[in-house]
Amino acid sequence: MIVVILFAIIALFPILWVALSSFKPQSELFRIPMRIFPEQWTLENYAEALLRGSFQIYFRNTVFVSVISTIITVIISIMAGYALGKYVFPGRNFMFTLMLCTLMIPLQVIMIPIFLQLKRFGLLNSLWGIIIPPAATPTGVFLARQYMTTIPDSLIEAARIDGGGEWFVFRKIIIPLSKPIIATIAIFSFMWRWNDYLWPLIVISKSDKQTIQQALAGFVGQLQVNWSNLLAMTTITILPIIIVFLALQNFFMQGISAGAVKG
Amino acid sequence: MTEFKKGTRQFWIPYLFLLPNLLIFVLFVIIPAVQGLAMSFTDWSVFSKPNFIGFANFKELFADEVFLTTFRNTLVYSILTVCALVVVSLGLALLLFHNTIKGVKAFRAIFYIPSLLSMITVGIAWRFILGDEMGIVNFLIRSCGGKGVQWLTSGKLAMLSVILVSVWTYAGYYMIIFISGLQTIPVELYEAAYVDGASRWYSFKSITLPLLSPTTLVVSILATINAFKAYELILTMTKGGPGYATKFIVQQVYEVAFLEDRMGYASAMSIILMLMIGVITLIQFKGSRGEGENE
Amino acid sequence: MKKNLLVLLLVCCVAGQLMAAGSSETPVAKTNEPVTLSVLWFNDGNESDVFTATMKDYLASHPNVKVDLQIVAFADYQQKLKMMISGGNPPDLARMATADLTSLIDTVLPLEGYTDVTSLEKQFVPSMLAYAYNKDNKLAALPVEATANGMLVNKTAFKNAGIDVDAVSKTWTWEEWAEIMKKVIAANSSNGMKYGLAVDFTPHRFSTIMYQFGGHFLNADQTAMQFNNPGTIASLQWFKKMHDDNLIPKSVWLGSENPAELFQAGIVACHIGGSWNVNTYKKNIANFEWGTVQMPKASIRSSVPGGKLIASFKGCAHPQAAVDFMIAFADKEHSSQYDKETMNISARVDTNIQYASNASDFNIFADELKVTPAFTANEWKNPNLAKVTAYAKEQIVQYLMGNIDVDTCVANVDKKGAGFFK
Repeated sequence: MIVVILFAIIALFPILWVALSSFKPQSELFRIPMRIFPEQWTLENYAEALLRGSFQIYFRNTVFVSVISTIITVIISIMAGYALGKYVFPGRNFMFTLMLCTLMIPLQVIMIPIFLQLKRFGLLNSLWGIIIPPAATPTGVFLARQYMTTIPDSLIEAARIDGGGEWFVFRKIIIPLSKPIIATIAIFSFMWRWNDYLWPLIVISKSDKQTIQQALAGFVGQLQVNWSNLLAMTTITILPIIIVFLALQNFFMQGISAGAVKG
Repeated sequence: MTEFKKGTRQFWIPYLFLLPNLLIFVLFVIIPAVQGLAMSFTDWSVFSKPNFIGFANFKELFADEVFLTTFRNTLVYSILTVCALVVVSLGLALLLFHNTIKGVKAFRAIFYIPSLLSMITVGIAWRFILGDEMGIVNFLIRSCGGKGVQWLTSGKLAMLSVILVSVWTYAGYYMIIFISGLQTIPVELYEAAYVDGASRWYSFKSITLPLLSPTTLVVSILATINAFKAYELILTMTKGGPGYATKFIVQQVYEVAFLEDRMGYASAMSIILMLMIGVITLIQFKGSRGEGENE
Repeated sequence: MKKNLLVLLLVCCVAGQLMAAGSSETPVAKTNEPVTLSVLWFNDGNESDVFTATMKDYLASHPNVKVDLQIVAFADYQQKLKMMISGGNPPDLARMATADLTSLIDTVLPLEGYTDVTSLEKQFVPSMLAYAYNKDNKLAALPVEATANGMLVNKTAFKNAGIDVDAVSKTWTWEEWAEIMKKVIAANSSNGMKYGLAVDFTPHRFSTIMYQFGGHFLNADQTAMQFNNPGTIASLQWFKKMHDDNLIPKSVWLGSENPAELFQAGIVACHIGGSWNVNTYKKNIANFEWGTVQMPKASIRSSVPGGKLIASFKGCAHPQAAVDFMIAFADKEHSSQYDKETMNISARVDTNIQYASNASDFNIFADELKVTPAFTANEWKNPNLAKVTAYAKEQIVQYLMGNIDVDTCVANVDKKGAGFFK
């Protein structure tokens, strides 16, 4: 038990450090001897960060992108996972393997071709450009597929015998049973889109379409780092994902169980 | 499993389910990937036209000392990190998988949270902790009269620090997967073993580990792929230093592509990286299948 | 069947590509047509805010012009620009560090044809203007800030050792400096001071010391790499000696610790940084007295010129409006206001900025620039050198770590450079 508590402290400490440091005035950040708690609690870092006005825009953009992309990701991943997990058809294994293989490609290599491709489709400088392309995530499809293989075929057969078409089966049987994996994919997708930096860097060149992560990175200059703003905004940025995770935690565990473990 | 006959209308149904995902995937991942990887056979500076040079990039790679160093570093880092991650997250899972422990949900959440953070945040936080002069750990060590440890300044220790921070970040993530795995093992098996007088270690070795092996495989494959692609975390913490000690392939790819302006050469590096990941993944698959067959 | 499916998929994709809306044609901008200038920017402190405030009057008097300012992290700046340019979508304007401008010099918009270049050229300091010329010797950017490398010191620490740093720094050499530092560290060790000097972890900052020892990167007419020369070797050996003697903390060049942070914490007594540090130190340092002093010399005194310029790009959406805006930003009135509030040195010949504070610091920086040999600017504006400096930095680190000797270090850099200079 003590071991667990010790590890828990190690797990939380760095984050707490960042959060506490965000309440220190700039002059306190680089003092020896170090203090964990601020000598002088101040909200000036937050005020400066929030009042920059654009912060609200970035926050709104990031929320919009994360939510919409998550919805799309869940829908298409479940559909694809169902197809790959519950049907036998030519090309099935090939496509699945192909998707998994692309996980191995570092995004940096294909940045410029992706940029050109997005330009062709008019998705540059549009939030849709960071919503749609990353929605086709191989991990999401992988998890969905694994989960689908745990759904008994008998249920599907029974629904068909009752006269339901394929779409009926999907809507009435599969989706309700998939709640756990939906939650799992939703949490992952939300987190990936929320923390996405490389995609917005490629796609967005207009200030009003930027996301929070881009704004955070902007505080790191050529010669110095704007620590006060960076720490405050980082702390604010961490909160939503933690909230989303805590809210969906139970479903999440179930989904991982069936999605990653069985099958 | 349903299989529709060719020629029937229903034959297209699975493809229709697959279509939305596949369409986005092909348009925005496959096509750029093919274009990007095709670049590895060219000499391409970003503002000029690519010109075809066959395998010359690959030949150069094998003699490129910096690349070979990053190759070795990536391999060392990935293997060590994956092993450490599997051990630590399994350990945490063993401590926390009984749903009856008080506050277990809170603990699981605490361990999981580091994996939710963006890599920039993690890098910043740990720089404050492990910095030579400005870091908390050394500060505490010095207050106790010791000499500061060169966590990020010595070659070997920097690699160790980077591995430790990676484990810190992802242990919770894989712990959750292991917990789910552990919870599917029927309790009766343990009870039977206990009745037979088996020690806890014996139960672990002959019940837990074998039944957990599909889960272990998933964890090690996911961990391996992520380890090979490590970039932002390392960059924020050590910038690849000291010297080349923590420079990994993806960082080198980026620098060669954008700072030295040689996209073709960078592409070739990526292909080597992909092959590496592919080979190791295959080894892991074969390894687990081999075990399964011996049961 | 598999074949048919693949064909179907292929047709879908091709059709999709063909139907995809390409970027719409940009209408030729007539004067007084509403124009939104896309401006790419990176910040070290408050530059973007000052920029916006400074240009408010221009935007008020040109109501058809709007500015869309996007701030990008400096580490990704070159990558972002390269991506936008090669994709045919360059911004109208961008704040450029000299290193980035040098790498992208072929893509920036030459100004002739949009304005009278000859009268412009006379307005700026030659060492900064040097960075703004492209291969055809056409002016393609305007300097907006000048920076100088220099030494900032913890004056209180020197006082504690009984040394008047302003006096000794007027003539000191690196050897004298080393002796003095030992005394200063000894006198202040109870306050936590451990080292004499922190040097920023960039090749640009290191070259300050290199130039002071009479070294250089390139040969006399900048046609080849010549890192292997006595001055450079001497500077490298001195640099390593200072690390080994613990006058310089290893954690900066070997561990990426930030020298400015070490200085503010009172761990190092001196910091070779530059004029841009004045702003931050003024804001943050409350518990000791600090200031700028003359850098020590070896065989000569030298600083390294640097700064920022503003440029437009070939193929941007509104070249004329961009050039007009650029000229206004770089003119005497706006440039002085901007430089004054960002606490930078002016790049114009006709301005005499009255800084709100720290005037003596800026005088010293200006003085350092005056004694800097002209060839330093020529080296740093060489596009081929720009491709090698990252590698050079890594080789210096290898040498500092003791993994290679100094001759191997300079030979490696020359070999790498030869590949780019052919």
